Amino acid sequence: MKRILLVVVVVFSTAVSAQQTAVASRTRPAVEFLASDRLEGRDTGSPGERMAGDYIAMQLARAGAKPLPAHRDMFMPFEFTAGTRDGGSTLTIRGGGGQQAFRDPEQVQALSFSDDATINGPVVFAGYGLVVPESQGFGYDSYAGLDVKDKIVLVLHYFPEDTDAKTKAALARYSDLRYKALAARQHGAKGLLIVIGPRSPNAGQTLRMTSDTALSGSGIPAATISGAVANAMFAGATKALAAAQQELDSGNPHVPGFTLPSQIDLTTKVVRERQTGRNVIAYLPAANVTADRPWVIVGAHYDHLGHGTRGTSLAGKEEAGQIHHGADDNASGTSAVLAIAEKLATTPLRRNVMFTLWSGEEIGLVGSNAFVMNPPVPLNQVAAYLNFDMVGRMQNNKLAADGVASSPAWARILERANIAAGFDLATNDDPYQPTDSSNFNQAGLPTLFFTTGSHPDYHRPSDTADKINYEDLDRIVDFAAAVIQATANADMAPAFTKVDPPNTGATLAGVRVTTGTIPDYTTEAKGLLLAGVVGGGPAEKAGLMKGDIITEIAGQSITNIYDYTFALELLKADTPVKVVFMRNGQRREVELTPAGRR
Amino acid sequence: MKRLLFGVVVLAALSAGTTAQTPANHETDFLTRIRRLTVEGRRAGEGYWSPDGKRLVFQSEREPGNPFYQIYALDLTTGDTKRISPGYGKTTCSFFRPGTDEIEFASTHHDPKSKQYQQEELDFRASGKTRRYSWDYDPEFEIYTYAEKTGKYTRLTNARGYDAEGSYSPDGQWIVFTSMRDAYNRTLSAEEQKQLEVDPSYFAEIYIMRADGSGQKRLTSVAGYDGGPFFSPDGKRIIWRRFDTTGLIANVFTMNPDGSEVRQITDFGAMSWAPYIHPSGQYILFASNKLGFENFEIYMVDIDGKKEPVRITYADGFDGLPVPSPDGRQVAWTSTRAGGSEGQIFLAQWNHQKALEALKAAPMRAGVR
Repeated sequence: MKRILLVVVVVFSTAVSAQQTAVASRTRPAVEFLASDRLEGRDTGSPGERMAGDYIAMQLARAGAKPLPAHRDMFMPFEFTAGTRDGGSTLTIRGGGGQQAFRDPEQVQALSFSDDATINGPVVFAGYGLVVPESQGFGYDSYAGLDVKDKIVLVLHYFPEDTDAKTKAALARYSDLRYKALAARQHGAKGLLIVIGPRSPNAGQTLRMTSDTALSGSGIPAATISGAVANAMFAGATKALAAAQQELDSGNPHVPGFTLPSQIDLTTKVVRERQTGRNVIAYLPAANVTADRPWVIVGAHYDHLGHGTRGTSLAGKEEAGQIHHGADDNASGTSAVLAIAEKLATTPLRRNVMFTLWSGEEIGLVGSNAFVMNPPVPLNQVAAYLNFDMVGRMQNNKLAADGVASSPAWARILERANIAAGFDLATNDDPYQPTDSSNFNQAGLPTLFFTTGSHPDYHRPSDTADKINYEDLDRIVDFAAAVIQATANADMAPAFTKVDPPNTGATLAGVRVTTGTIPDYTTEAKGLLLAGVVGGGPAEKAGLMKGDIITEIAGQSITNIYDYTFALELLKADTPVKVVFMRNGQRREVELTPAGRR
Repeated sequence: MKRLLFGVVVLAALSAGTTAQTPANHETDFLTRIRRLTVEGRRAGEGYWSPDGKRLVFQSEREPGNPFYQIYALDLTTGDTKRISPGYGKTTCSFFRPGTDEIEFASTHHDPKSKQYQQEELDFRASGKTRRYSWDYDPEFEIYTYAEKTGKYTRLTNARGYDAEGSYSPDGQWIVFTSMRDAYNRTLSAEEQKQLEVDPSYFAEIYIMRADGSGQKRLTSVAGYDGGPFFSPDGKRIIWRRFDTTGLIANVFTMNPDGSEVRQITDFGAMSWAPYIHPSGQYILFASNKLGFENFEIYMVDIDGKKEPVRITYADGFDGLPVPSPDGRQVAWTSTRAGGSEGQIFLAQWNHQKALEALKAAPMRAGVR
């Protein structure tokens, strides 16, 4: 009760201040409340997130939305792992008549996605543990000719160090540790050990445990070991670890792995701190519900980064640890969905419109994933999912709609709605975007994702409510309501078209450096168009700025964001590279020195 | 894509290799609240206004089964779009007939091979091969009208050779158009025959006829592609573009409706085309690739071409086919600014006052008569 009372007071005060500033925006009060200091950045599972959820439920109820059928309230809690630490993993090497035991985290430590288990057996060294699918037209299989069934596999971190850029490019995308664990498991290995080879950066160190929001392990015990432990396992082998790595680093795919002389006992234990986040879900019932997929889902995430301690913060040194307000990301989308609910409440609908405000987005789309894994309404009853993420910074009338190729119905609906709305609409076919809609796309539903794009305040404390373009955010609400109404009232639900994922496995997990660039996702360009550069970052130091289009970095040609992510994997910190870019139609070159990633 | 043409010619590097200072972007001086009008389909272009300014008729490739343009009318009040052309064959170049319910366009739908060509093009695309854009000047193109009330199509031309690019006089009584009939209605020399195989547009000339198709009369007779004619707002002049015989250089011209008093308006030494006169009658909007072979921008120039043209758009790729609204306060044009190589139609508010000021401030063109 006390919490709700507090919220009511706050709501009143923000409403009053909005009136005083003479801007009668429908979206402003919710953004100002959600992005206020009081909510402390709405970190998933935090008191600020609880308060935001309460506020959202109240606003949905005020708009006339109801809890889902057979639900008492609008909250759908989900569990997630807020933090992981090693719970005392151990490793013992037996061989040559003696045995050596290790339990220090500097020597052996479970990986965050490891299963908890105790296993023993022989160890097989499998090079870099890379398997490139045959479909990539690039033959590389560290397991070729090796029998690892029921054995423990030891592999090197990263990918061969001395190869040409093309080979690196082909291998880098399969070097993510989770991918290596998958490959080991698929070959029947019962455990995986990772060592940073003597010829790689941070040689011989164990890996710091990364945050991983998964609730359980990935099906295989996996641990990182120090160079010393690895060398002990190599004692008496035909080749030392350093020599084996050197041979592999040439990129020759035919360097075989081999069985090590020692047997080991391995115990992995990961302590996962479980917390609960809350999705807030309500709906407007259709007056005359149609039989063909009678639901449309409209969503936005309302969580943000808290004080930015979880890793995806881009705060500079001087602002680190401050409240990340997340006004654009994504109080703007949340506020838009609330205003859409209010607008649609007075509109006759032929499909039920469900409003889903997600938590857990910033830690890996966890809230929407929990929904898709355990949907309160069968997904085959859902016509489409529409997502709003970062819609508060419109510039030059430009609104991006992504995922247009996920249904042949979208272009028509968008074109018609935009005649009245009048946006400079930038459509993008690709439904594989780093936001909640990708979970629904993967579940086989047509999706649309609206955004006004990134900016220099992205994931920084300076993403504040005063910087939101409320006038255009209100226009987005009207436009979106028309799109949703057209979808909800169509005779036939939009058909789903599966779009092939972009041909890359590039993930930030493989990236060891940062360039301090902020990509513009709203405009299609032949290259990487910059929405801005991070203050004091490598790109700014190199003289790059908003509007520049990067077409080449370190000899890799760049045609899109995926190429760029991918090229980043190949860069080394503090090693200058040539960047080719277009500015006002002119080709320019500059030298950029990537910085190491924290 | 009549009025739209990227030649079949190999796009040689005509663009200047010098590193000239990039001028500041003045686009928003003239165009504000830029918005994208068409979204559906692979491409759309050539939007022309209804006389009341409430609708736009345009060509778009947006229906499965036909990889060629069809003609659509967009209602700017409701957002509704309806197809005007029959749905098969190739079509291009539509125009509202003032004072009536008729819409004019060019089509090949009477050609019994229409559907076969559609399938061939679809198969070609499915094969994964690509080709440079080319407009094939199908000799089957004839000019039609569609009466919206009755749904009846009326064929106005009947000459072998591409007949298209038609537009009405302000009183709705006349149509100016482009025809390549000169390549088919006489015996060609060996050289001309070769020319026809390489590029039939060499034979394109401007013609005029009554709105019922009678009284067809040729107005131009200069080698090279004469095309894209429109009447001036007062109906007293015709504006069009004339290519040289190489098909690389084009300029904007005006003449009287009887073909007399020909006046050259532009002289960029580049491809300047798709002219349209602003309803005020004071200036002309047109497109030119002066800044680079594949970088078309929209310019404006005073009605007599005495001053240096003023640049309007500042976007990479294609910006062209500008058409001001009947009240002169908006401009629709075709652009690739949304990305990719295929155009879509954009719309913006047009600042007539700023345009007049900029034209006034423009320097006199060197060597003007």
